[in-house]
Amino acid sequence: MSSVAITDPIVGELQDILGNEGVFTNKSSLYNRTRVPAPFPVHRWNQLIPDAVVLPRSAEEVSEVVKLANRHRIPVVARAGGTGLADGALPLRGGIIVDVKLMNGIHEIDLDNRTVTVGPGINMLKLNEELRQHGVFYPDDPASYPCALVGGRIGTSGWSLIGSRYGHTRDLVISMQIVLPTGEIVEVGDGGGRKLRKSSTGFQLKHLFMGHQGTLGIATEATLELVPRPEAEFSAFFSYPDYDTAWRSTGAMTKSGLASLAGVVLFDEKKVDYLRRDDEAYIPQPDNVRCVVASAMYGTMDEVKPAAKRLMRIARETAANYLGDDVSQGDWASRHDRYATPLHGRNPDGQVVPMCWHCEDAAINYTALPQVTREWHAIVDRYIARYGIFDDWGMFAYTSGAHKPWGDYLVEIDVGIWEQKLNEDTWAAWVSCKREIAEVALKYNGSITACHGATREGDVELVPGEMGGGFDVMKKIKRALDPNNVMNPGKYLLDQAYDPEP
Amino acid sequence: MAQDQQAGSSGNELTEEFVKEWRDTAYGCFSSGHKFCREVCPVMQVTRNENHSPTAFHANIVAMEQGGLSVEDVADDYVHCTQCGACELRCPNTLFTGDFYRNRTRTVDVVKAVRSLAVQTGIEQPEWKRWVELTDERKSEPVLDGTPVTQEHVRDWAEGLDLPVGGETILFCDCEAAFYRTSVPRSTALILKAAGVSFGLMQDQWCCGGPMAEMGYTDKARRFAEHNLADWRSAGATRIITLDPHDYIAFTQDYPAYFGDEFDLEIVHITELVAELIREGKLSLTKPVLRVATYHDACRLNKRKGIYKSPRDIMKAIPELTFVDVDHVTQWSYCSGAGGGLKVERPEIAQEISRRRMAQAAELGVDTLVSACPWSERPLSERGAELQDVIEVRDLMELVADAAGLDYGGVHV
Repeated sequence: MSSVAITDPIVGELQDILGNEGVFTNKSSLYNRTRVPAPFPVHRWNQLIPDAVVLPRSAEEVSEVVKLANRHRIPVVARAGGTGLADGALPLRGGIIVDVKLMNGIHEIDLDNRTVTVGPGINMLKLNEELRQHGVFYPDDPASYPCALVGGRIGTSGWSLIGSRYGHTRDLVISMQIVLPTGEIVEVGDGGGRKLRKSSTGFQLKHLFMGHQGTLGIATEATLELVPRPEAEFSAFFSYPDYDTAWRSTGAMTKSGLASLAGVVLFDEKKVDYLRRDDEAYIPQPDNVRCVVASAMYGTMDEVKPAAKRLMRIARETAANYLGDDVSQGDWASRHDRYATPLHGRNPDGQVVPMCWHCEDAAINYTALPQVTREWHAIVDRYIARYGIFDDWGMFAYTSGAHKPWGDYLVEIDVGIWEQKLNEDTWAAWVSCKREIAEVALKYNGSITACHGATREGDVELVPGEMGGGFDVMKKIKRALDPNNVMNPGKYLLDQAYDPEP
Repeated sequence: MAQDQQAGSSGNELTEEFVKEWRDTAYGCFSSGHKFCREVCPVMQVTRNENHSPTAFHANIVAMEQGGLSVEDVADDYVHCTQCGACELRCPNTLFTGDFYRNRTRTVDVVKAVRSLAVQTGIEQPEWKRWVELTDERKSEPVLDGTPVTQEHVRDWAEGLDLPVGGETILFCDCEAAFYRTSVPRSTALILKAAGVSFGLMQDQWCCGGPMAEMGYTDKARRFAEHNLADWRSAGATRIITLDPHDYIAFTQDYPAYFGDEFDLEIVHITELVAELIREGKLSLTKPVLRVATYHDACRLNKRKGIYKSPRDIMKAIPELTFVDVDHVTQWSYCSGAGGGLKVERPEIAQEISRRRMAQAAELGVDTLVSACPWSERPLSERGAELQDVIEVRDLMELVADAAGLDYGGVHV
């Protein structure tokens, strides 16, 4: 499907809806609405630009823009923070970018029913600055906490570092207002009023509009969970002589049943090697520190104090060595900023080069972690040796079950990519590397992605395989809601929804 | 052709040279691309337009290298910056990789460089052009619209204070304070005298040139710097006291870049000096100042130079002042909107930034906001006067002079 070019009269119609100040067609506006922090094919940047950018201020304006696009068959791509790692906000076929950053208001704080209603353009850190005075917070806490926006969290169905205690985005968004691909404005939740967490009426539509990467609509308002600001925080870092010991200890901690346990992170041997090599914030440790496990608990003092004692006992019983208060408190406090380690790359000769960061985010069951870890490193090692523009920055495994930290993990391998050296061949090599990594996740009954989405090259080809019959359901839903394929076309192989019946 | 426009080099050649110089700096941001800067940027907080985000300022350069964008396409984006430096501090590259790689995100320098490239290639912003032309003509910035700012009046603020000219230590008075908020230099001069610091004024003070450099007129700015340096040399000066953070940036960053090792003068900001004088008992503050005040961290002191402790030490030394502090890291995302030429070229955005800053102060229940930056004081005063419970804006030196019982006079509205 090719896009329909935006003509001057259409720009005029957009200006009628949004005013001149809400519509942009100048080149730098277009270029800057396409880039994402994930490895980006800079050599093809000019093929990925939209035709117009709009900055709406209300759901009604979004609705009018979408109706216009649907009428003229023009692609519409929603963009919030533009910090996603799966290209959801990147236009593949030009069209109109609906940039929701101006819709960043706090509409209602309901302290009695513990909800806050916001626009999709608000950032979680900014929201929490406002909520602080009320003794509550919104605990959606991704690595991109200082920059991600609520709309993008919905579009990607995000994951939170402290989700084992508080839940992830899908658990924390109670209901939303959505502009459908045909322009209607609807409220979706579990059913009933927008502040209800549980209902059995009708289909559970909220989940349908979580993580669709902008292919089914645009969130224009969200009602979010408020939780008490934790009275107590306990963080502890432990070291281990090898991966298997760290992995067993992680299993014991996460199966402990301690409800205040908010997250456990396993750093593999390569990750510790990498931090030792190139992270100047790394606090030097003896050589026998080969693997690290970080854990954090939040809650009331009455919960956290005894739970912390229990956690420390479990750690001791599973051969963990406590790394001390400085590392435990300092490093946990800086976890968010540590998310970005650009410029830390080295080529195979050890020379420092500016590298972009790829963060793989498969969902993997506990039992498969050691094998997946080995196989992923082996794949990346092959590509490093062959192309010289990649670097292996090690792996993390994070607890991933909402309120249930046992069972499954977000498994991340961080790969450095020297973007300045990208061309068609090396980009193809990267995509192929990426695909091999995702295939391993599927081989062990995992999922390609726990939080970013699987819309990029190298992932998306495998989605029908992962979803099975569910992918046919996806196509039927897409076609029913978006009859003209205007909403983020080209993503998730959903063009197939419009293939003639065989 | 304006002086800063380069004869003989085409725009393409200039852009090529520019991209070569800045590409690695730009890639440092582009490769990261996390945009932590967005929510602390004072302009982005208002416009929410991704083109105005610090990360776009770097991405544009990568796009220029790829041939996608030209300086004509991006010049307007770079107008939207107060050069406050918040983005650089919040950048993970600065926070977590800077020391190891001797690399720091340099967004302010990038903005200045692109503005300079724009001027060199003939792309000028009308209000900046006017401002710079008037500054060039009058040797001070046209801070009073409609009222002539002229060289014969540059020392009028000191009338009746009997201040000498020349000497080892020079008090440099910025244009806004010299012609508009004269209570700042007057209180400063009396404080220095009371503490026994000997100093003189310049023989022929010109604007520091910093704002012209910030607007992209580098050659003109340098000519002003050369004049001032020559004036200091002929007076035998070895130390310059600045009362304005913008001058402090010009003298500690721009001038050393122009003159290299030859520039060996000691540059002191007044807050550092006064804090020291109080600490050493050379200045005694005994008169009560019955105000409930917060301190506004001037961006160029706090974010650009790491000076946040000495102003707070001074606030705490003022008798009976109720000081409601907001820590300096929280204030990374605060700004008065007065810097980087934004209020000259985009006054409506600058005003909204000022309004928000005063709204933040209003939440603290204070009656006074204290600043140490004369440029911030006019817009903040204007917005403070519009509040339901008016907040008065005072300069830190005015408060110190009040506490020292000095009658400085001058204009402070």
